[in-house]
Amino acid sequence: MNRIETSFENLKKDIAAFYKPEVHHFITMNGVDLGNDEIEYQWFFCNYAFPSEITMFTAKANADKQVPSIKNSIVSAWLPEAELVDLLGVDIEDTQKGFVLELDSETAPLRKK
Amino acid sequence: MSTQYNIPVGAQHISLLEPLHFKFTTENEKIVKTEANVGYVHRGIEQACCSKFKFRQVSFVVGRVCGLCSISHTTCYSQVAEKLVKLDIPKRAKYLRMLVIELDRIHSHLLCLSHVAENSGFEALFMQTMRYREFSMELLEAVCGNRIQYDFSIVGGVSRDLRSDVAQSIIEKFKVFRPQLDELVEIYNSNWSLSLKNKGIGVLSRENAIRLNVVGPFARASGLEVDVRNETEDVLPWKEVGFEMITDTAGDVHARNMVRLREIYVSMKIIENIINGLPEGDLLVDTKAFPEGEAVNRIEAPRGELFYYAKGNKTQVLERLKIKAPTFSNIPAMVETFTNNEYASVPAIIGSYDPCLSCTSR
Repeated sequence: MNRIETSFENLKKDIAAFYKPEVHHFITMNGVDLGNDEIEYQWFFCNYAFPSEITMFTAKANADKQVPSIKNSIVSAWLPEAELVDLLGVDIEDTQKGFVLELDSETAPLRKK
Repeated sequence: MSTQYNIPVGAQHISLLEPLHFKFTTENEKIVKTEANVGYVHRGIEQACCSKFKFRQVSFVVGRVCGLCSISHTTCYSQVAEKLVKLDIPKRAKYLRMLVIELDRIHSHLLCLSHVAENSGFEALFMQTMRYREFSMELLEAVCGNRIQYDFSIVGGVSRDLRSDVAQSIIEKFKVFRPQLDELVEIYNSNWSLSLKNKGIGVLSRENAIRLNVVGPFARASGLEVDVRNETEDVLPWKEVGFEMITDTAGDVHARNMVRLREIYVSMKIIENIINGLPEGDLLVDTKAFPEGEAVNRIEAPRGELFYYAKGNKTQVLERLKIKAPTFSNIPAMVETFTNNEYASVPAIIGSYDPCLSCTSR
């Protein structure tokens, strides 16, 4: 797995430069609670021509920092972004709560208590 | 300007066997906009896997994510766990995993086809397809011990061997099933009544399949050559057992039916090749290592790409497990594909998506 470290400031630019729809398949977005309110965000891609190669963009940030959305480059990213908003209780640009979890259900179940 | 009407479908609806809600905005029976909601049954399985179960037990938990493709979940998880503990499993175990995955694909595809027939108003074909499907359920029970939720793949290999009489039974039942499958292909391909409900309906173009990152038969029916079996030779030797990519170009309900039917022939060929060339050897290897680092794994479930991410911290319990089911990837395309279709076509289109909310809301 190719791991590419990035930052929120560079994320949109890096993804836009990397992602070519005819070449790359966007797999999903993930988040890992590292503890101490720090989250590692991950964006996974594979290459249609070299599919064994998986590329992961990753950025770490405090949980209260707004995550930039990559919907401008990858239309279908709205769904994994909406899921992370509910499951990690984070704020992602232009993403509403309540798509995966009901608004009155437990909040942020994947965060470390 | 015509009046717009909002029509809800689901979360409980006769044509939707899953807790999925669509809100259609229609103008003169034509759908102009669709909204979806999947948040009804989130079960917190990822959290449970990282807090209540040891990493070896997790394969039994993820087998409960879905009744239809539990072998895909248990195999995908076992493979990602084996990467974390650096375990190379015996070749016989790899072959047996592929055999059950393909048997599972046969029953899952036939179930989807039967639902499309039912949702297209063809009850007799629904019943006939379900009747022909029964042999695959009996074979899965004979091989794995269960008709559904088979705990066959476990970390380190597989839990049961293939008995010679069961292997013979598979070959014999395939001889009976092959003409039945030919009959189904003929009906799904040529029946005039079904073609009115399926041809040119719910079209997803190749460009949109690429743009929306669609996976599985849904993508292949639109001409997008994407199949994890073609891509993960390092984990399971699919090409060695005769994997062949099936695609179509029309991108409509009929094309999805035909891709699934043709994939059943490929699955049968793979299973026969596995039985004829099953290597000797152990079923299981063990290790005392604890999961460390992070790993990803993908597998082609009946509905498409299933993705697992796991992170270990040198303890028995995983730090993080992420499951991305194929239906989850396909929801954005499902929402867009309804547009410009007649509202009356909704049941057949939904059936052809083969949605699995059990996987999606794991």
